[in-house]
Amino acid sequence: MIDSEFDRRDFLKVLGWGGAAVALSGCGNTSIEDGKETIVSYVQAKDYVIPGVAVYFNSTCAQCDAGCSITGKIREGRVLKLEGNPESPINKGRLCGLGQASVQHHYNPDRVREPLLRQGDKGEAISWEKAYGLINEKLSGVKGEEIAFITGDVSGHQKVLLGNYMDSLGSKNHFVYEAAAPAVVRAANLKAYGVEMPRYRIDKAKVVLSFGADFLGTWVSPVHFAQQYAAFRKGVDGQRGVLIQAESKMTLTGANADRWLAVRPGTEGILALGIINALGIATGDVAQLVKDYDKARVSRDTGVEPSHIDKIAAILRLRSPSLVLAGSAAEGYVHGMQNAEAINLLNYVLGNVGKTIESPVSVPFPQLAPSKGNTASLKRLNDDLAAGKYKVLFNIATNPVFTAPASYKFGDSMAKAGFKVAFAHYLDETALQADLVLPLDSEMEDWGTHVPEYLTETAQINIQQPLMERLHANTRGMGDILLALVKQRKPEEYKAFDDYYGYLRGAMLQNKGALGGAEKDDDNFWNDTLSNGIVKLSGPSSALSGKADVAGLKLPAPREADKEYPLRLIASVTSNLRDGRHTNQPWIQESPDPLTTIVWDSWIEMHPKKAAELGIVEGDIVKVTSRTGSISAQVYVFPGIHPEAVSIPIGRGHEAMGRYAKGYGVNPFSIMDSVFESTTGELAMHETNVNIAKTGQRVIVVKDEGPVGGKQMGARIAVSRSTDQVDLSKEV
Amino acid sequence: MHRYLRFPAMLACFLMAVTCHAATDQPLTTEDALGPQIQQPIEFPHYRHAGNRNPVDPTNSDPTKGGMEINCQYCHTYARRSLTAGIPPLQKCIGCHQNIPTVRDKPRIVELFKYWDAKKAIPWKKVHDLPDFVRFNHERHIKRFIEQQGRPVQEVCGYCHGQVKEMTTARRQKPITMGWCRSCHMKDHVVVVANKDGIPEGGTPLGKQDYWYTFQKPAEKRNAAGELTAKGPNDCWLCHK
Repeated sequence: MIDSEFDRRDFLKVLGWGGAAVALSGCGNTSIEDGKETIVSYVQAKDYVIPGVAVYFNSTCAQCDAGCSITGKIREGRVLKLEGNPESPINKGRLCGLGQASVQHHYNPDRVREPLLRQGDKGEAISWEKAYGLINEKLSGVKGEEIAFITGDVSGHQKVLLGNYMDSLGSKNHFVYEAAAPAVVRAANLKAYGVEMPRYRIDKAKVVLSFGADFLGTWVSPVHFAQQYAAFRKGVDGQRGVLIQAESKMTLTGANADRWLAVRPGTEGILALGIINALGIATGDVAQLVKDYDKARVSRDTGVEPSHIDKIAAILRLRSPSLVLAGSAAEGYVHGMQNAEAINLLNYVLGNVGKTIESPVSVPFPQLAPSKGNTASLKRLNDDLAAGKYKVLFNIATNPVFTAPASYKFGDSMAKAGFKVAFAHYLDETALQADLVLPLDSEMEDWGTHVPEYLTETAQINIQQPLMERLHANTRGMGDILLALVKQRKPEEYKAFDDYYGYLRGAMLQNKGALGGAEKDDDNFWNDTLSNGIVKLSGPSSALSGKADVAGLKLPAPREADKEYPLRLIASVTSNLRDGRHTNQPWIQESPDPLTTIVWDSWIEMHPKKAAELGIVEGDIVKVTSRTGSISAQVYVFPGIHPEAVSIPIGRGHEAMGRYAKGYGVNPFSIMDSVFESTTGELAMHETNVNIAKTGQRVIVVKDEGPVGGKQMGARIAVSRSTDQVDLSKEV
Repeated sequence: MHRYLRFPAMLACFLMAVTCHAATDQPLTTEDALGPQIQQPIEFPHYRHAGNRNPVDPTNSDPTKGGMEINCQYCHTYARRSLTAGIPPLQKCIGCHQNIPTVRDKPRIVELFKYWDAKKAIPWKKVHDLPDFVRFNHERHIKRFIEQQGRPVQEVCGYCHGQVKEMTTARRQKPITMGWCRSCHMKDHVVVVANKDGIPEGGTPLGKQDYWYTFQKPAEKRNAAGELTAKGPNDCWLCHK
């Protein structure tokens, strides 16, 4: 009978299936959690606030110095998303990945939240009153020349207020430091065109010849140039623009070029002179200068084939106007200035000056114009600190301990200053060495004005306004801090201003007429200003005044191979990481590098030929040694680099700065030699020579490209184990 | 019976039994599924504000019996403007209550003014909670039922929130599960089609809209009453963005 035919085992199986079916059919009644969450209403709601409906405020992106205007989407008092402000002639409604990630700067869990005073190895949370009192106390009896300030690029009213505070202290030691600024190119431009940055018109050019200017990724104002580039590719007179990129390590712009030329590191200027020679249209001094740079020699020196030089000369002759750009790859050498000058000379020979190189607009208020950063200033500060010149050092949100070459020993120099105050968002490498750390508001909580370094159609003052309330009660805006500090010195002059907002509003209204609000009343003008987020100004253009000057232009012969350190280290600037101040934003870590698609780690780019010669394959951990030091990282074999060079991106390798930055990758600054550009004194970032040694370890490079499933070098990551149990170093 | 047939046969029977059980248990109609009684910081009397007037007490003097028939949207102003209904700001309560001295010393009102004086928000507990992956749009439902079809406000809000006008603090009365949502969305709703000139013909007017929102394609033939019907929005992405 049926009873005897069923056994216990089958019965249990069926019971199990039945249970699963009950569980499935029960789905849908389980996820509502009544009474668990609190729903907090407003006490008093603003008229425009509707829960669930976003409002938008205009402000300015502070992730880099391009000065893109942004529109923040705010819901229930929280900023959720940023987009470009279409009214800005700089970014015209666009925003790059770096800008998008800035909400993660604002919400970062590792922000400093209280003023911290050093007690041995620990920071003790103190009140702002005590902090201000302490600064006042430490400054008493200290002479003005014993006080130094280090900042990044600074402009607008914050610059004015900082200047006033420094005046009140009698200090003239303002060091404006940017680790990845085009300072040598600025100097060369000043010599060639009479202005530091002319207005480049990529959109008007028919050919762009760029010597390592990564204008789509990192150079000067990438979002603006990317839009010019789009117009350039659509073409002038139906001719699609041709982009030629000559550099030693492929950049994002290089990857977009029609022709990418791998140039031997440091010979960019020689190639420029070789092209002038091949053009055959130069006269006078210039012709005299380039007469020795014939194709055979230039090809031998630069590694660029003679036929390519001919082709470039041919297309430049054929299509006019063109545009030649000198970028960071050309300037990072002892003769960087000479390189940039030779490249600028090409623009004169081709007749581009005045056509695709236009005079820039100037800011009608010079006191608001940006103080532009460079690396020579850090060298000076380091020397002064090492000599014990400063008793008090103020650091405004820069991180030189991370970005100074190790040979500076900046940390040790800094320790010689008696009292170090760091205004910081995070406990980064530099803030950790300070005696007093004062927490700053994020750019989405603070007031400010900015004048972009690179202006486009019009001069403009960008408004920065809070997009939401402070996340943490005890952070302060830099403007408010400066105002409080300057009040300690000049209480009478500043007593009318309760806070930086009041100061800013007063200062803007005072110049209402010049700012285009002559016929508006104060409130209307101010409201319009905040709602637009930009004040556009009609300033006079500063005329281009330079000339094709060949005096003093002398390029050195290419470097002989160093026997001990045969390879050139290119510490590259990538569009995600820049100088590493945003590495703790997880989106930045997570977005794949545009060229290698590597995430969350550093890598060493090496040419396949060189790798084969050294017996290295992708994923090998190698030790890179320079005269200064050594670091180890994974190799990425990449044809977009000159065989005589290896490249490590800067920005990773933090030893502090929070959970998303600390311990990821390596920092090439830690092996960078102190070699300087001869004219400007800027750090020559491509002058470090290294050798490579295998360590015997091998890992799987975590990257987006390649076949799905992580099949690499014939090996396959075990798919049977969960990712946290896979040891990548054992998988190969 | 062969042994290899026994197991599947038994399995099939069990599954059928289980599914039948589930089908009857799963609420597919608007039958009530009372949620837990939730303790709120202030026991807000919905019945007093929104409840029906007591016909024998025209002055509304007995607080235990008569309501004031205040429109739901007078306080819940955000529901018709936004996805989320929100909770009225405290200011809203005070706006009226500062002018009602007769109840000023009642314990709940005293409590209310304590929050107001401290300018602190009242930590209400959420009564109707949907999972984070569900996007319910209040505005859209109010537009359709109240503004376009002119149905009574309390009836429309009550489709999902139940008879709030009879409660003190709100308590969930409907299951608010996906199956329950679909029980309404899959009904045949009377709709109108715009003719060539864009003017709706026959049926219950849907306002000036001559497009279907995301309604499904109307039935080919009119029903016995001469109405054209269509099933409600059925796209996954409407709620699961």
